[in-house]
Amino acid sequence: MPESSLTRSAKPSSTLLTGEMMSKLERMELVSRKIFRGRMKGERRSKRKGQSVEFADFRNYVSGDDLRFIDWNLFARMDRLYLKIFLEEEDLHFFTIIDDSASMDFGDPTKLFVAKQIAASLAYIGLCRGDRVSVSSFATSGSPVVMRGKSSAFRLLSHLEALPCAEQSPTMEESIKRFCLKNTGKGIVVVISDLMNKSGYESAMRMLVAREMDVFLIHLLSPEELSPSVQGDLKLVDCEDDDRREVSISASLLNRYQQTLAGFIEHAKTFCNKRAIAYVPARSDQAADILVNEYLRSRGLVR
Amino acid sequence: MNWISALSPMQWLLMMAIPPAVLSLYFLKLKRRELVVPSTLLWKKAMEDIHVNSIWQRLRKNLLLYLQLLFLALIVLACLRPGWSGQNRVGERRIYIIDNSASMQATDVQPSRLEMAKKKVKELLSDTTGDDVGMVIAFSDRADVRQGFTNDRNRLLSAVDSIEPTSHATDVGEALRAAAGLANPGRSSFDNLNDIMVADAIPATVYLLSDGAFGDLGDFDLGKLKLEYLPIGEPKAANLGIISFAVQRNEDKNGQLETFARIVNNSDDKVEFSASLELDGQLLDASTGSIEAGQESGLLFELSDVEQGQLKLQLDYTDSLAVDNTAYAAIRPARPINVLLITPGNSALETALQTPRVQLVASVRIEPPSFMTDPLYLTATADANFDLILFDQCAPKEMPASNTMFIGSIPPFPAAPVANPGDATDKDRWQFGQPQGPVVVLDVNRSNTITQYLEMGAVSIVEARTVTPPESGVVLMSADIGPILSVAPRGPFQDAVLGFSIVQATSEGSSINTDWGIKRSFPVFVYSAVEYLGGGITESSAPTVQPGWPIGLQLSNRFKNFQVIAPNGEKTELTRGDESRYNFTKTDVPGAYQVFAEGFERPVETFCVNLFSSRESNLAVSDSVSMGFEKVAASGALVQARQEIWRWILLLGLALLVVEWIVFNRRVFI
Repeated sequence: MPESSLTRSAKPSSTLLTGEMMSKLERMELVSRKIFRGRMKGERRSKRKGQSVEFADFRNYVSGDDLRFIDWNLFARMDRLYLKIFLEEEDLHFFTIIDDSASMDFGDPTKLFVAKQIAASLAYIGLCRGDRVSVSSFATSGSPVVMRGKSSAFRLLSHLEALPCAEQSPTMEESIKRFCLKNTGKGIVVVISDLMNKSGYESAMRMLVAREMDVFLIHLLSPEELSPSVQGDLKLVDCEDDDRREVSISASLLNRYQQTLAGFIEHAKTFCNKRAIAYVPARSDQAADILVNEYLRSRGLVR
Repeated sequence: MNWISALSPMQWLLMMAIPPAVLSLYFLKLKRRELVVPSTLLWKKAMEDIHVNSIWQRLRKNLLLYLQLLFLALIVLACLRPGWSGQNRVGERRIYIIDNSASMQATDVQPSRLEMAKKKVKELLSDTTGDDVGMVIAFSDRADVRQGFTNDRNRLLSAVDSIEPTSHATDVGEALRAAAGLANPGRSSFDNLNDIMVADAIPATVYLLSDGAFGDLGDFDLGKLKLEYLPIGEPKAANLGIISFAVQRNEDKNGQLETFARIVNNSDDKVEFSASLELDGQLLDASTGSIEAGQESGLLFELSDVEQGQLKLQLDYTDSLAVDNTAYAAIRPARPINVLLITPGNSALETALQTPRVQLVASVRIEPPSFMTDPLYLTATADANFDLILFDQCAPKEMPASNTMFIGSIPPFPAAPVANPGDATDKDRWQFGQPQGPVVVLDVNRSNTITQYLEMGAVSIVEARTVTPPESGVVLMSADIGPILSVAPRGPFQDAVLGFSIVQATSEGSSINTDWGIKRSFPVFVYSAVEYLGGGITESSAPTVQPGWPIGLQLSNRFKNFQVIAPNGEKTELTRGDESRYNFTKTDVPGAYQVFAEGFERPVETFCVNLFSSRESNLAVSDSVSMGFEKVAASGALVQARQEIWRWILLLGLALLVVEWIVFNRRVFI
């Protein structure tokens, strides 16, 4: 491997979540813009009708229905049997997919670390609210770790901390495809990625949209990518596919890079907006709690 | 604008190989630093349009390469030595007249005025094109064409280099005449004034590089010459110079010599100086003095007990011109003169020849007339063993090969040498009258050495004959009957004839013809005659000439071969010809010269060469040359020397290199 002059992760991931942050997060909850069917009885309204205090509708009694839900008052007045239907409250499925490709291993702190922090924060909120939390990376998208309940917080954190940066991770498209095949449930999906994928991110995102999930895309970029401070005659080596580019850095080239970057971000934003994907740009040098507390709150992911 | 290549074709080939080398280096690219980035995705996109015309795009964007190529172009340009002069000088004729007189040795401009003039000429030469022809003339008091018209610049340059400083005075006329002769057509015939000119006038530009110490050129006609006067030197150069130095006997104190020097101060300040006098290299005396600005001052040294030697006066003062701070004089050596007196008996004459003064300078041999038939006499006269032979009351059959003086006798003339005896007129011969008397001396030629101190008023002469010299001769004494003492040259010799005898030997004994023999003026006359005709020294001071001027040496007829030793040790052999005077011309080096006779240890003659020119000592540079009513102003500012800018181009290149360095280090911001 060629020597790198950029800040590649040498730093062991420190505590993903501090106590202070956790106490803040405990007061929040994940907000879904859609109502999904859950798997277990939970705190969320479900599309499924069931037992809760919230009235939904009446329907004619058919034999076999539970007699406990017959509206006897209505039977007295109308002399017909009606069944009271209540909204069911179920748990929310929260998925978070972290891009663990080699390109995430840059920045100080690394993008991967920040991604883990964000994922941990959101997952912790979910755990505290009794949601079904699923954490996976591109490499492990086929077999995510599923947790429920606040007691799983330690497991969540230790899993995330141990999540390595994949030397050879599958492409985004492959990962999402595998994720969609394995996870039939619906819910909130938060994809944290730098989108630095030569094969593109569009088809992957389309798959998530097709599953009718509430998709959030956190586009995480490091300062090195946003405003590179390189100079001289360089041979740039792509850390993922070992692609080599000879560049002579000049002001015009840097300008062009900035234009390209702006275009890239703009394209992602437009793509997401068109498909009701919440696009959240983020910087790796920004504190994760600020991102979660302020930015994601304003975007309606948390409350 | 024109170009002079500073490189040979081979070097040019090498030079021309550099730009492609730089270009190829850029294409091959130097080793790049590898840098691992998260993704080349964005870079790839950013560079996509740059890659469209990758070679030209790379060039377009590469400021560094441009700067390097520009730098190289500047170097090439500098090697071409671009320059310009005011006008195109195709096929011009130029004559460079360079002053190498004594004043051009002045060091008021470094290294010297002459070197500065040579440098200026070289600058002018660098402005010439291949078609220009040039000519180099060096002049001091004479012109020396160092290089005739040629378009070979190297020959002109080497001719300029060959010009050495001289100690001569300045006379530009000859150089200008030489230049004019080449530029202005002459008449093919001087008899027919209407003759047709055979050659077209060829205009030429004369560059006169001088300090202008030559005064008015008179009515010199420049004709087709265009004169450009380029003055050399500082307008006000201070100089102290000796303009005369002489030694003479003190009239009042016998045996004492006094030397006298005149020193001129050509500066704007009062100058205090010290001077030292050396005799044959030994310090004899020293003196100090001061001279007001622009004034002259005298310096006197009294010497005693000095028989002979070379005096050197040295001003211990440092100024721009060193050559005039030293002057030379020589006290002439006493040279014994061989005198033969042939007389039947003349006590007055014999007594006069025995005086201490005569004995000091001459050795006298007295013989009777019969000696003339003696073989010894014949060989002695044929070999010129005697400087002077006095014939008293007798005459030889043939004139001897020496100076003679006839007293009361007629020499075997006519002996005036004429090319063809048939053409000889009376003017070319001696003419003698018949004896008559009494005679009264009327006039004595005071300008001649023999008779300058004679007082003949109280002398009575019984009878005398007239002696009329040939036209080349001089009458020394005239009486009422006509000339009675004359001197005339005979080839290399001089003959003096006295028209009356002192005593006349007869068969009864001697009869006195004049009372001159007992007068005081007689021994004076005899001494003067012996000294003058014997080639003796009349003055204690040796003659002095300016450098480069010929000096007439009155050499003893006793010797045939002489050797002149110059101050710088150079020896010149002289062989006596028919003339008694020998013109010696190798007098370029200032100093004392000594003449040695063959087989004679002590020098027989000595003379000095000194600058002694107040004009040369005056270093003030004339700002114009005047020719009659015409004036040519100095055109120093108008010298169209080749203006070269290659130094500036190189400097620009250097500045470019600095810019390049800055760009290299900070090019991200450009």
